[in-house]
Amino acid sequence: MSHWQVDKNCWKLAVTVCWLASVVAAEQFSKLPQGLVSVAPTPTTGVIRGRVSRVELHFRVASGFHINSHTPNSKVLIPTTLKLDPPTDIAMGQVRYPKGTDISVPFAKGEKLNVYSGDFEIVAAVRPLRTVVPGEYQIRGALRYQACDNRACYPPKQVPLQFLVRVNKKTSVGVRKNRQSPHVHH
Amino acid sequence: MRRNISVIIIVVAAIAMMLIVGKHLARESRRGSDALSGAPAVGAAAPAFELTALDGKNMRLQDFRGKAVLLNFWATWCEPCKIEMPWFVELQKEYGPQGLQVIGVAMDDSGKSQIEKFAQQIGVNYPVLLGTESVGEAYGGVEGLPTTFYLDREGKVVARVIGLTGRDEIENNVKKGLNQGHVAQGPK
Repeated sequence: MSHWQVDKNCWKLAVTVCWLASVVAAEQFSKLPQGLVSVAPTPTTGVIRGRVSRVELHFRVASGFHINSHTPNSKVLIPTTLKLDPPTDIAMGQVRYPKGTDISVPFAKGEKLNVYSGDFEIVAAVRPLRTVVPGEYQIRGALRYQACDNRACYPPKQVPLQFLVRVNKKTSVGVRKNRQSPHVHH
Repeated sequence: MRRNISVIIIVVAAIAMMLIVGKHLARESRRGSDALSGAPAVGAAAPAFELTALDGKNMRLQDFRGKAVLLNFWATWCEPCKIEMPWFVELQKEYGPQGLQVIGVAMDDSGKSQIEKFAQQIGVNYPVLLGTESVGEAYGGVEGLPTTFYLDREGKVVARVIGLTGRDEIENNVKKGLNQGHVAQGPK
């Protein structure tokens, strides 16, 4: 193979790598402004018929933004709410929201806003009825939130989510601790 | 061999450069600058619209030709909007006689009564129109609120701002609008 051919192949490789890098970079960075809140995949949770189990759902607010907590300090602010749509025979119990953090932002003259930022966790109670057939059930839902940064606020949005519960007849099934894993952006 | 090394260096440098540029663009985009892409540019004519006001009457942007218009997109859930609106009330009082017309466009889904109540609490002294998705789209989507367009007397955009800014900057933009464009006839 002559020097000329080697050089030509190298340049071809260089152009291909550059093209691939630009595609990957564009794909990655174009996603950033889209989802201000992401949800981590939730591992399958074992639950027992007739008993209440808790499922932890992990969320992340993009850096530089905050969302109103479930109990914001003003009636006009839109609270963060989790809505779950379980299949028949699986009842959803109380949803436990974390306490927000009181923050002062430049636009809220002395007024404290109660918000979530960074990572936060919501715990949902699941209770399969005694009559439910053992097996895996999918629960779908969405987190509704309204985000702001230090200068502007963004319209309310929803992050769709889903998780599986494995219904067992008897005990000896513990609730698996959720891992903090890469978040899925919506 | 030397050529191969230089090719590798070029590739690495190109990748690094793309990553830096990409990250910068992403940061800018998240600050909201990209949110105005698709919005009428400075110097362009503001898109025409007809919207319903809180009093039930329809209003067209063209009705205010001859006046400098401060077109403010806001929502009841928008905390920074609450800071700006009292300034708009003051500016309407101060510059109204010189030809300023502040127009609020409420972009939230809450009912008319809630918007009305909110506007009353602030003491709004200018028309508040009920925004629609299509008007929002015509103005670049108005994703971040508040978003404000300053128009001159001919209906051309002299400035556009996403997010809360200082009162001085708002007043300067109002003056720009008042000083540009010909004084035509007032509102019909």
